[in-house]
Amino acid sequence: MPDPAYLVQILVNGLGVGCIYGLIGIGFCVIYNASGIVNFAQGAFVMLGGMAAHVLYTWGLPLPVAGVLAVLMVAALGVVIERLVVRPLWDRNATLFVIILATLAVQIVIERATLILVGDQPKSLPVFTDLPPIRIAGVAVGYQFLWIVGTSLVLIVLLVLFFQRTLVGRAMRACSINREAAALQGIPVSRMLALAFALSAGLGAIAGVLLTPTQFTAFNVGTPFAISGFIAAIVGGFGRPFGAFLGGIALGLAQAIAVVAFGSGLKNVAALSVLLVFLFFRPSGILGTAK
Amino acid sequence: MTKDRATILETQALSARYGRIEALHAVDLDVGAGELVAVLGPNGAGKSTLLRSIMGLTDSSGTVRFEGEPLPRRDPVAVARRGVVLVPEGRGIFGPMTVAENLQLGAYLIGGRGPAFDQRLERVLTLFPRLKERLDQAAGSMSGGEQQMLAVGRALMAEPRLLMLDEPSLGLAPQVTAEILQTLASLNRGGLSVVLVEQKAPLALQIAARAYVVAGGTITARLDPREITSHDQLARYYFT
Repeated sequence: MPDPAYLVQILVNGLGVGCIYGLIGIGFCVIYNASGIVNFAQGAFVMLGGMAAHVLYTWGLPLPVAGVLAVLMVAALGVVIERLVVRPLWDRNATLFVIILATLAVQIVIERATLILVGDQPKSLPVFTDLPPIRIAGVAVGYQFLWIVGTSLVLIVLLVLFFQRTLVGRAMRACSINREAAALQGIPVSRMLALAFALSAGLGAIAGVLLTPTQFTAFNVGTPFAISGFIAAIVGGFGRPFGAFLGGIALGLAQAIAVVAFGSGLKNVAALSVLLVFLFFRPSGILGTAK
Repeated sequence: MTKDRATILETQALSARYGRIEALHAVDLDVGAGELVAVLGPNGAGKSTLLRSIMGLTDSSGTVRFEGEPLPRRDPVAVARRGVVLVPEGRGIFGPMTVAENLQLGAYLIGGRGPAFDQRLERVLTLFPRLKERLDQAAGSMSGGEQQMLAVGRALMAEPRLLMLDEPSLGLAPQVTAEILQTLASLNRGGLSVVLVEQKAPLALQIAARAYVVAGGTITARLDPREITSHDQLARYYFT
C-alpha cells in the first residue's frame, strides 16, 4: 500500500496535467463546434506556445511579456492556418475528411519547420514563481501547479462568460448549432471560423506556456498532447468545452493512478483504456456530445 | 395580372442546380414594395430552392435584384445585410439556446443591444406575447407553434425590408397556422413586403395579393387570389 501522502502527491500532479489536457481538449471543441472539423494541428499550437515563449525569453523579453506575445502570435497563426489551409478547402466544398487530413499535414509542417528553426534539443522556461513548493500534510504543491490550475479555472470562467454573455460568443454557439440559420441572421459564419481557430490556437498556446517550465518543450511534443487533448474531448463529450475540461482532468488523474499502480510505462495505456471504457460504455462522453 | 407598386424584388432567368440536377429553371418573379406574394406548388416543385437561391444559398445563375440593385450570389450574410431575411423550412431556430438569445441573434447586425434593439424586442414581444413568457426557456423545448412564432419574431428582429417564409405552417395545428398567417397579414398591412412559400394554398391565398404557382422548377401560373373561387380551379393550376 503506497504512502497516502505519495498517493495524494501523484493525484495533485495528475490534476495539473489534466488541466493542460483539458485546455487542449477545449481547443478541439471550439473548432469542431464552429465547423465540424477536428483540428489535428492542435498539438502544434501547444508546442509552439512553449517554443515561442522560450525564444522570446532568450531574446531578453521578460517572461510575462514573452508568454503573452507567444500566445498572441500562435493565435494569429491559427487565423493564418484557417485562411490559407482550411478556408480554401472549405470554399471548394471539400469533405471534412480532407480538411481534417489537411490539419494533420499542418501539424507535420509546423513540427518540421520548428525542428529546422530551433533544432531538436528540448527547450524550457523558468517557473513563473521561483519559490519552494508549499507543503501541506506531506504533499508538495508547486507554484507552477497553482499557476496551471488557477489559469485553467480563470480561462474556464472567461470562456463560459464569453459563450453565454457576449453576442459574439452566442453567435459562435449559433454557428455550432446551425451554420446556415446563423448566416441567415447575418452572422458572418466564416469570420466565426477564423475566430474559433484564433481562440483554439490561443488556448493551446497558453497550455504550452504553462507546461513548458515543468515538462520542457521540443519540436515533437505536439502530437502526444494532441492525442491526449483529443481523448479528453471525447471523454468529456465531443463539442462540449466544459466536458473536455472534465475529460482532461479524468485523463490526467487516470494516468497518475496508473503510474502508481502499474508504473510509468503504462501511463499511455491508462489514457487509451479510459478512452476505450468511454467508447464502449458511454460513447457520448461525460456531458454527452454536442451534436 | 399586374401589380401596381414599385418592385422591391425581381428575379430574371433564375436557375439553380443541386449537382447535376436542375431544381429551378429560368424563374422570373417580382414582388412589389409592401406586397405579400405567395409562392404555391406541390412538394418538390422548387419553391424552397427559389427562396434559397434568392438568399444565395444555392449554386444558381440568373439575376436577383433587390431595390434595384443585384443581390450577391453565394453570400447569404451579405443578402441578410441588405434587409432580406428568410425564415427557413424547419424554422432554423437555435434549439439549445434560450428564446431571448435567439431573438438577440436576430438583431446581430445592430449589435444585439441598445435602444434600437430594445424597441424591436418590445415590438416582437407585443406581436407574440407567448414569447415574452418564455424568454429564458430553451427554444427547442417549446411547442411547434411557439417555435414558429420565435422564428418569425427572430426574423423581425432584423427589421427586414423583405421577409421570406418557407412553409411556416409545416407541422402546425390549423389554429396556430391561422394565427401565424394573420400575424403575417397584419405585418404586411403595416408595409412589410413578404414572400410566402406555402403548400396549403387556400390559406396563403387568403392573405396574398398575388401568387405564383411553381411546378417542376419553373413558374407555371401567375394568379390573382380574388379570381380563385374554388379548390377545383386552384387544382387545375397545379396540374396544368
